[in-house]
Amino acid sequence: MKKTVLILAVLLCSVAFSASVLAENDRVAATSDKTVRMAGGTPGGSDWGYPSPFTFYPRGPGYARMSLLFDTLTWKDANGVIPALADGWKVSDDGKDWTFYLDRNARWHDGTSFTADDVKFTFEYMKDHKGGFKWFDATSYIDSVDVVDAHTVVIHLSDPVASFLVDIAGNVPMLPEHIWKDVSDPLTFKDDDAVIGTGPMKLVDYDSATGVYQYEANHDYYDGKLLVDKFISREVSDTASALQTGDVDEVSFWGSEITAVQTFESDPDFEIKAGPSFWVLQTIFNCEKYPNNDREFRQAIAYGIDRDKIVSQVLHDGGEPANTGIMHPDSIWYNPDCTAYEYDTDTADEILDSLGFVDTDGNGIRNYPDGAERSGDITFDLYTTGKYNREAELIQADLATIGIKINVKTSDWGTIDGYLRSANFDMVISGHGGIANPQIMRIPDWPASTYQNSEYDSTYAAQEVEMDLDTRKELVNQLQEMVADDLPVYTLYHPYMWCVYDPEVLDTWFYTRDGVSIGIPLELNKLVFLARYGDANENGKINMQDVTKIERMILELDDETDMADANQNGKINMQDVTHVELTILGRAPIRTR
Amino acid sequence: MHQINKLVYYFAILLIILSINFFLPRVMPGDPLSYLSDPGADMPARMTEEKRELLLEYYGLDKPISEQYISYMVGIIHGDLGWSIYYGAPVLEVILGRLKWTLLLVGTSTAIHVPLGILLGATSAWARGKKKDTGLLISILSISSFPSFFLGILLVIFFGIKLDLFPINGAQTAFATYSSPFGKIFDILHHLVLPATTLVISHIGGTYLLMRNSMLGVLGEDYIMTARAKGLSEQYILHRHALMNALLPIVTMTAMTVGFLIMGTIFVETVFAYPGIGNLLYNAVLYRDYPLLQGIFLFITIAIVGANFIADTIYVRLDPRVKNE
Repeated sequence: MKKTVLILAVLLCSVAFSASVLAENDRVAATSDKTVRMAGGTPGGSDWGYPSPFTFYPRGPGYARMSLLFDTLTWKDANGVIPALADGWKVSDDGKDWTFYLDRNARWHDGTSFTADDVKFTFEYMKDHKGGFKWFDATSYIDSVDVVDAHTVVIHLSDPVASFLVDIAGNVPMLPEHIWKDVSDPLTFKDDDAVIGTGPMKLVDYDSATGVYQYEANHDYYDGKLLVDKFISREVSDTASALQTGDVDEVSFWGSEITAVQTFESDPDFEIKAGPSFWVLQTIFNCEKYPNNDREFRQAIAYGIDRDKIVSQVLHDGGEPANTGIMHPDSIWYNPDCTAYEYDTDTADEILDSLGFVDTDGNGIRNYPDGAERSGDITFDLYTTGKYNREAELIQADLATIGIKINVKTSDWGTIDGYLRSANFDMVISGHGGIANPQIMRIPDWPASTYQNSEYDSTYAAQEVEMDLDTRKELVNQLQEMVADDLPVYTLYHPYMWCVYDPEVLDTWFYTRDGVSIGIPLELNKLVFLARYGDANENGKINMQDVTKIERMILELDDETDMADANQNGKINMQDVTHVELTILGRAPIRTR
Repeated sequence: MHQINKLVYYFAILLIILSINFFLPRVMPGDPLSYLSDPGADMPARMTEEKRELLLEYYGLDKPISEQYISYMVGIIHGDLGWSIYYGAPVLEVILGRLKWTLLLVGTSTAIHVPLGILLGATSAWARGKKKDTGLLISILSISSFPSFFLGILLVIFFGIKLDLFPINGAQTAFATYSSPFGKIFDILHHLVLPATTLVISHIGGTYLLMRNSMLGVLGEDYIMTARAKGLSEQYILHRHALMNALLPIVTMTAMTVGFLIMGTIFVETVFAYPGIGNLLYNAVLYRDYPLLQGIFLFITIAIVGANFIADTIYVRLDPRVKNE
């Protein structure tokens, strides 16, 4: 008996070990292709859908993976809006007509030229299949599109849209008319043709079960030179260890994962870039249900929550207390003057006392006043997903000291979403991103909608059409102040975000101004893989250093030589001017060193 | 007559189970579009109410529930399991893509832990009371009692990271090319070792105990004493008489648990990022993906009913005392 077991065990082990050795040996050696691998997420969380414009999962990473294949009219880099499929544009005085001058060299991956017809077709197709583009599309603002010539197109809006360049021109992916005109149901179109775009990458492979995307460079890209040959986004079971073992070349961390980031800080093989997460965690109040329907009551609760403690204990200082007006401090819309509620239990107690919530039975919990809608001790249910349990527990402890009893109820998001939509809740902890774009403030307590304020609604509508940036900023400031004063939500914190990468593989990672497209906080911007024309020294930025680089290239000088000493003879005099002239004329100059 | 009764009986059961599979997901609060507002660590699309209505209409979720029920039932008869709302692909395709990995994982670990458990259980029973038995009992029970995900994490840390002998996630190396078909097979085996080992260790305790007890019961029977009296060798008695008879409960137990194992692997699948059904089911519940949930429940129903049937058949073969009426 024992012998059999022993033999079996030895057999198993040898199979296991030989499998590993043979697998390694048999794998075909990687070619000299330059490949970048990114951690797309953890198991079950790295699949973002088939990257066609209608089938990606409507979340930031899904859009980002689609955007590698499909271009928009404009795009954004680290500083702001830049040309993409459109080289230039202008808008009429009333803000309703946008003219775009298209790039003449852009081609679809199948070689066909990109023209104004494709632009017109795209917007009309989106309008005809309204449910299809699940990402924010706002094509409902568009009246019609006119083709002036093959490379000029005019978009007519019914009302001015202040954020047109970012939310529409910088968001809606252009579709090839010759492919999509025959597609009646875009949600089920998943052929190879569905991912033909003008983008810098082509899709090689996608697997939903393992959440793996493989792209190859489109070396004929019209807007720059590709720095890599292949890009892979894949699932890893632990991001930090995957980066450590070299399974991937780049990983992003955020919030409480600051502890993982710190382990990489002392490691010379990796570099770290910090960026704004444009994300906020908040408590949502049911403004239609007593007693949370009383603004002062909500303010008392705000005074009673210690946000600094939450940031230090839960996030380990991997974040900061949030703007009570929601918009992120690193975005251009941030209003620093929103009412803040410094943690102060005395003020909280005062307010609650003055509202008539007194502890009449001496059990430490305040009671509802006589004749109120509810009676007995003040008790609420605070709903949260498992992820924010610790925040919920800290809030529970904080509110207990001011005499309010909270029951923390953990549930899955589907359940909570159901309660929020049917206004069947007291308080919920939830969060969302996109807080670099005022569009996010349309319904401040989304997906609930218990906050009713007509002044808020009209201010929001006004900023949507306000073309003057300063006036628009003023309006968005007012929105933030209303949220901070009325507290339909009490914001808790903004987490920080980092990307850690191996600079020897790719070191151009950056964070886009106010997020990619409409406000995605990711570092996965297609520009990371490009040396854009104009970026002569290929460092990812376009500035005067590139002009200097071009001058050096013309003068055939290396990067260290003083450019004034053009003939490199150690002296700076008129002979250098002559040298420059001769070089430009193409006559081999004689060097006198 | 009896056969027809049995058939009607099974058909009725199936109908009830399929109906429960339909209504159960819809009892949960939330709906298949809830995930769109999920506060993930990224940016969800802000959906307007108007767009939400359009999507509900597109997926047929705005129709009255009786109509949805009928199209669900009709669909099953035609073998059309519908379209997964979250994955945006035919349900059958999504399930089959994951099912093969679960079957590989479950199949391999079952093929190892069952014979091993039988051997060890029999050895233990045979050496009952002695040090070998006590030693085996204590060691197997203690390591098998650890939760499977804990064991999995230990293996990942030790063999995957510290010793770097095995890969720590996935079922195969993504996009690798091989010079021969064996290369791919070995790669899959390489990825299979740690998760399968975890499952084996987790489940061997149960098989071992059952075998040991069953064996002890058999060894106390009269026919064993008769065999000894006849002068047969110990080895012969152990194998031919004791082992074979003690196997019967194992057969039933194994057949039954295989049906459940398909879901039970969810912890191991998560730790090793192994793309199986357990993980799929978990996601389907979270996302309230009604068509996908219905499809997975259907597969599980078939698996368990099928396992039941196989257990019945094998048992009859093995034990001639059980007459088939």
